[in-house]
Amino acid sequence: MDWGKLRFFLGEVFANFTRNAGMQFTAIGTVAVTIVLLGAFLFVRETLQTFGAGVLSQIEIAVYLKDSVDDTKAKELAAAFAADPRIASATYVSKRDGLKRMQAVLGSDFDTSLLTTNPLPNSYHVRVRNADDVPAVARAIAKDPRVAKADYAADTVQKLLKTATVLGRAGIALIALLSISAAIVIANTIRLTVFARRREIAIMQLVGATNMYIRMPFIAEGMLAGTFGAAVAIGVLALAEHQVVPKLAATLAFVTFRVNELTLCLELLAVGAAVGLIASWISVGRYLRT
Amino acid sequence: MIRLRGVSLVYPNGTRALDDVDLEIEKGSFVFLVGSSGTGKSSLLKLLYREEVPSTGEVIVDNIRVDTLRRSRVPKLRRNIGVVFQDFKLLSNKTVWENVAFALQVTGTRTRDVMRMVPRALDLVGLSHKSRMLPSELSGGEQQRTAIARALVGNPKILLCDEPSGNLDPSNTTEIMELLQRINLKGTTVVVATHNQAVVDRMRRRVVRLEHGRILHDDERGYYFRGLGQTAVLPG
Repeated sequence: MDWGKLRFFLGEVFANFTRNAGMQFTAIGTVAVTIVLLGAFLFVRETLQTFGAGVLSQIEIAVYLKDSVDDTKAKELAAAFAADPRIASATYVSKRDGLKRMQAVLGSDFDTSLLTTNPLPNSYHVRVRNADDVPAVARAIAKDPRVAKADYAADTVQKLLKTATVLGRAGIALIALLSISAAIVIANTIRLTVFARRREIAIMQLVGATNMYIRMPFIAEGMLAGTFGAAVAIGVLALAEHQVVPKLAATLAFVTFRVNELTLCLELLAVGAAVGLIASWISVGRYLRT
Repeated sequence: MIRLRGVSLVYPNGTRALDDVDLEIEKGSFVFLVGSSGTGKSSLLKLLYREEVPSTGEVIVDNIRVDTLRRSRVPKLRRNIGVVFQDFKLLSNKTVWENVAFALQVTGTRTRDVMRMVPRALDLVGLSHKSRMLPSELSGGEQQRTAIARALVGNPKILLCDEPSGNLDPSNTTEIMELLQRINLKGTTVVVATHNQAVVDRMRRRVVRLEHGRILHDDERGYYFRGLGQTAVLPG
């Protein structure tokens, strides 16, 4: 390792970086805002996913049996359910149990003495391992001759799934736009540095420095701005996690959050560095080509 | 060492800087390019280090076809050519030593070699004792010597000088010309574009005179104006 070379290179990067500090702060700030929003987006998506998964896992298929199917015949179905690997559990609820449950749920609002016969059918409450399988499983069960109807909260499931995808796409679009704007700010900052250093660049070209070599300090500068921005953002996110999330968790029981993961931090830093790299690469490249 | 064949250079704005120029320069020679401003001296030099590409014709430098050279090969060509300008083109925030070392550092020279080559170049131009000074603390002649040290530090085969004495007083000019002559004696091919008649007439080297982009005359041991020595009195 040639330490002299390294020191010269770092000196160049540092000189670039400090030359227009004001602009550099703007670039770092923009990256920070972008990455804070990216972090917030990841948080919301994470929360929605856990929340959604919780809801979906609670979705039951209510299987109503035909009146002609008596208790003993109904219990034969349990074997069929057990054989299906997609089904997590199937609880048999007889006519009588069903009525009891309804009384328990509705309490005094519901006067069973008004009923002359039990209107409820024998039924199964089926839980599916994977929420995505709910529609398919329900359809399969409905084909059974003993089954009158297999019902589930179809709308709820589908809406939830759809909302999750739409939110995901909108979030990605938003992050992409923000990343582009951050990249533009960095590119402009680099362009200022390039402009300030055009004499150096001209001399470098004159004495036979390769374009790659001329590019390097500027690339490093862009990556540095991007990484600094990401570091600031991680700080903000960590603070937010400490201050805001516990309060959120107190009111919204479904909120479970994890941002202090090392991998996530590294990912955000990598995003910042990548934005800086691409921006400065393009910015210097355009100058060198002309 | 240098060969131009049928070279024309027309700038995008339509200016014809060079018009069908043929020129050959031997290895180790010392050549003056003379002519009034705007006659194509600088353009000719720029063709040699590939700052410009000819509109037609061939440019060969050290057995390399420069006019068709791929862009990625240009840095290597330039490491073989030192260039000095009228305005020195020094970096004002770097010391003499750093300015000279810069040429090596940005071409990826190992530090050990930088430490060895920079003092040698400074010694050649006689600036070892001012290596820690900034360009603003130097005289014009010293600044130009720094620029020459930078151009030579990588041991190029060719040194191109574009009006090297344009910003210097007569005594500094003499100093620089003597330095260029010494460099030439060490084997470096030196090409000097100038319109300094006194210098050309005193040194009696090969003189290539350009007028309107064409070679008007080309004399061994020539004068600025053909057939006239420095004692001649010019009309007007």
